[in-house]
Amino acid sequence: MQISTHDLKAKIIESLKLQDITPEQIDDDAPLFGTGLGLDSIDALELVVLLEKDYGIVIKDIEEGRPAFRSVKTLAEFIAAKRPQ
Amino acid sequence: MPARFPVITGLGIVSAAGFGTEEVWRAVAAGASGLKPLTLFQSPRYGQIVTGEIQRDLIDAGAPTRSSRSDKLGWLAAREAIADAKINFQNCGDRVGIILGTSVGGSYDSERFLAALIKQGKMRPRPTRFHECSSTVDLIADSFGLFGPSMAIATACSSSALAIAQAAEMIMSGEADVMLTGGADSMSRMTWGGFHSLLLVDSAGCRPFDATRGGMSHGEGAAILVLESEENARRRGAKILARLSGWGMSCDAYHATAPHPQGAGATAAIQSALRRAGLEPAAIDYVNAHGTGTRDNDVAEAIALKTVFHNRVPPFSSTKRIFGHALAASGAMEAVVCVEALRHQQLPPNPGFSKCDPAIGLEPVTEMRHAPLTHVMSNSFGFGGNNGVLIFSKPETTPRTRAPKKIQVTIGGIGVIGPGAVTMKEITAPLPPGKGPVHSCGVLKDAAMLTPNQRRRLSRLQQMAIITARHSHTPDPAQRVAIAIGTGLGCLEDAGTFIENLVAKDEREPMPTRFPNSVHNSPAGQVAIDQVAHGMNSAPTAGETTFESALWQGICQLATDEADHALVGAADEMDKYLLSIGQRWGAWNETIMPGEGAVVVSLAGAEKIASPLARVTMLKLGRYRKPFDAQIEAEWIAAAVDLTKVEVLLSGAKGFRQLEPRYQAVAAALSKLAGRTLEHQTYKQLCGEFHSASAFGFSVAVSLAHEKNCGVLLYTLSQRGAKAACLIEP
Repeated sequence: MQISTHDLKAKIIESLKLQDITPEQIDDDAPLFGTGLGLDSIDALELVVLLEKDYGIVIKDIEEGRPAFRSVKTLAEFIAAKRPQ
Repeated sequence: MPARFPVITGLGIVSAAGFGTEEVWRAVAAGASGLKPLTLFQSPRYGQIVTGEIQRDLIDAGAPTRSSRSDKLGWLAAREAIADAKINFQNCGDRVGIILGTSVGGSYDSERFLAALIKQGKMRPRPTRFHECSSTVDLIADSFGLFGPSMAIATACSSSALAIAQAAEMIMSGEADVMLTGGADSMSRMTWGGFHSLLLVDSAGCRPFDATRGGMSHGEGAAILVLESEENARRRGAKILARLSGWGMSCDAYHATAPHPQGAGATAAIQSALRRAGLEPAAIDYVNAHGTGTRDNDVAEAIALKTVFHNRVPPFSSTKRIFGHALAASGAMEAVVCVEALRHQQLPPNPGFSKCDPAIGLEPVTEMRHAPLTHVMSNSFGFGGNNGVLIFSKPETTPRTRAPKKIQVTIGGIGVIGPGAVTMKEITAPLPPGKGPVHSCGVLKDAAMLTPNQRRRLSRLQQMAIITARHSHTPDPAQRVAIAIGTGLGCLEDAGTFIENLVAKDEREPMPTRFPNSVHNSPAGQVAIDQVAHGMNSAPTAGETTFESALWQGICQLATDEADHALVGAADEMDKYLLSIGQRWGAWNETIMPGEGAVVVSLAGAEKIASPLARVTMLKLGRYRKPFDAQIEAEWIAAAVDLTKVEVLLSGAKGFRQLEPRYQAVAAALSKLAGRTLEHQTYKQLCGEFHSASAFGFSVAVSLAHEKNCGVLLYTLSQRGAKAACLIEP
C-alpha cells in the first residue's frame, strides 16, 4: 500500500516538533539525518515511536530502521512494505 | 602544607551478585552472570527480562524503614564500610564528610505516588519524602553522625566516579580527614522505561565487548568506600587497603546520550587521571571498563583505550553482567572490584564475552587469572558525555598525586533567570513580584539565543541553564572550561511527563527525548555542548546548599589547574506535582512562595579576569547538629572567616518557617562574636523558595559587595542538615 509522503512529512514535523518548516519544504529524497534536517539519534527514536503508534510497525533494533531513515521516500517505502495488512 | 594522600580503609557493597565485599568478590571471581528475571514491578511491555535486581527481603533486613529503596541500599553499604574501616566518628568533630553518586534517588518510591494519582486519582505524597538524590547522603550522615562536607553528585552513570574524585579533593585540600564516598541507585520504572525507549537494553542480558552484544542490563546496588588521609589512617593504625592515586574528569560536549564516536572525552579523562597520579600509561596493569554492552559505548571505549595505550592495552574487563548496570552506583561498585583485584592480585573476568568484534579489535579477560597488579584503573562514562576515571594503587607505592594550590577566586560574570520570567505564568500559585538584582531575563525573552534544535528538544531547565551560562561567559575554545551546575530536584517536567506517560499508556509510546533530559546533569551537559566545554562536568545536588556544592567543585578545578575557567551554578524548576505536593503539605502561603530559576557564575583566577565583579575569599561546607545550636554554628563560621571583613550576613530566611528562627539566632550569635551588630539581609522574599535559591542569593551577595564595597557572608542551611558559608568580597 502506498503512503502519502506529504502526510508522513506532516507527522514527522509534529512528532519531532520541527519549527518553522512545512511539508512542502522537505524534499522526498533529502537526507533526514546529519546535514538535511539536522536530526540525530534521539530523533530517530522518536520516529521509531511514530512508526509503532501510527503504522503498527515495531522496531526493536535501531539498525533495522537505519536504511529506512535515510529520507522521507525510503521511510514511506519501508512503511508500505512492513505495515501489517 | 604537606600533601594529604587519600587512602582506602574500608569497603561496603550491596549487589545482585551478593552482599558484602567477600561474597561479591567470590561472585566476580566465578565470572557468572548475576542477572535474574525482573520481579520488582510489572512491566506490561517488556516483561520479565533479566536484571541485576536485589531481593527485597535482603534490603529490608536492618536498613532504616523511613527511607527510599536507594537510601536503604546506600545505608547497608555504609554500615559495612564503617565496620570494615573499624572507625569511630565520635571524636572526629566536623572532619568526616560524605559525597555519594546517586541519579535515581527516591524515584522508585515516588513513582508509586504518581501511579496512584494517575490510575486511581489518589493524592498520596508520602513516598515522595525521600525523592531527592541527596536523601541517601542525608540519611547516612544523620545515622552515623557525620558533620563534615556533604553532597550528592548526579551525573548519571559516572556519578560515583565523580563523587569519589570529589571526596579525594576534600581530603587533599584539607577540608576533611575522612570521607564516606561511593554511590547508591535502585532500579526504577523511570530508568527501565527510559533505556528501553532508547532501544539500549539487551533482552538476553548484557554481553560487553562481544561481537553479538545488543545493549545493557539494568541493575541496582550501592558501594561505599572509607577514604581518609594517609596521615589520619596511620595515626589511628588503620589497615590500608589501597591508595586512590589518580582521578580524571572530562566531558565529550558532543551529544545527550551517544558517546563521542572516537572516544575523545574518555581519552581525555584517562589522560587526566594518569597526569594527576603522575603515572605513564605503561604503569597501568588492569582496566575495569565501563563496558555497558551497548554497541556505541564499547566501540568508543575501545578506541579510547587504544588511543591512550597504543598497541599495549592492559588486560581489561567489564563486570556489568555480574551486577547489571547499577547506573550511579556502578563506578563505586567497580571501585570495590578494583581494590579487591589489587588485594588478591587477580584479574576479574568479563562474563558475556565469547566472540571478538572487529569494530573493537580487543579481547577482554575471559577467565580469572593471577597477575602482578600495582596500579589499576576504573572507567565510568555517563549521559551527556560525562566521564570519570579513577586509578587505584597498592598501599606500598609512593604516591605522586598533585596537591591543589591556593588561588584568588574571581567572578567574571553572572547570568540570572529569576522570578518574573514569562514562563512562570504557567504556574497557578502566587509568585513573588521581585526580579533579579544583577541580570534578570525570561526564557522566552532570550529564546532567540537558542538554536532551533535547543528550542524544540530541550525543556525549560536546560534552556535556563544555557541562557544564564551565555550571560556569564563568552565561549572561548582556547580556554579549558569546567562546569558544575547543580540542581535540587532536577528536570521535574521531563521526569514527571515521562513517568506519567509510562503509567498511563502501560509503557506504550515511550518518550525517548524526555528521558535523557530528565537526568540531573542534563542542564550541565547541555551547557557543555553549547559552550564547547570539555573539562569536568558535574551536577551536584545537596538540598538548599546545592549551589555552594557546585561552587566548591568549580573552585577545586581551578585550584588543581584542571581548568582556566569554571562555570558554576544551580537551576531548579517548579512543576505541577511539586506545586500540588507543597500545597498538600501546607508549604506555600502568603510569605513562602514557590520559586524557580537558574544562576550561572563564571569564575577564574585573578590573572584571567580583567574587570572582576567580586571575589570568593572563603567557602566552607558542613552539616549542623540536631537539635540546632546557633552558638556552635556561629563559632563554626568564625573559625573559617575573619569576622572583621564581614559587614552583611545574607541568609535564606523568609523562606521555609523551620529555617527562619535558626537564621535569626545565628545572626545574633555571630554579631555577639564580632562584637558589633552585623547587618542581616535576606533574599527569598525576592526569589521564592526553591532548592537553588542560594544561587540567587549569591548574585544578591555579589551585588551588595559591589554596591556597599564590603564583605558579604552568604550563609545557607538545608532542611535536611547540610550547611554552607561563603564570603564574597569586592
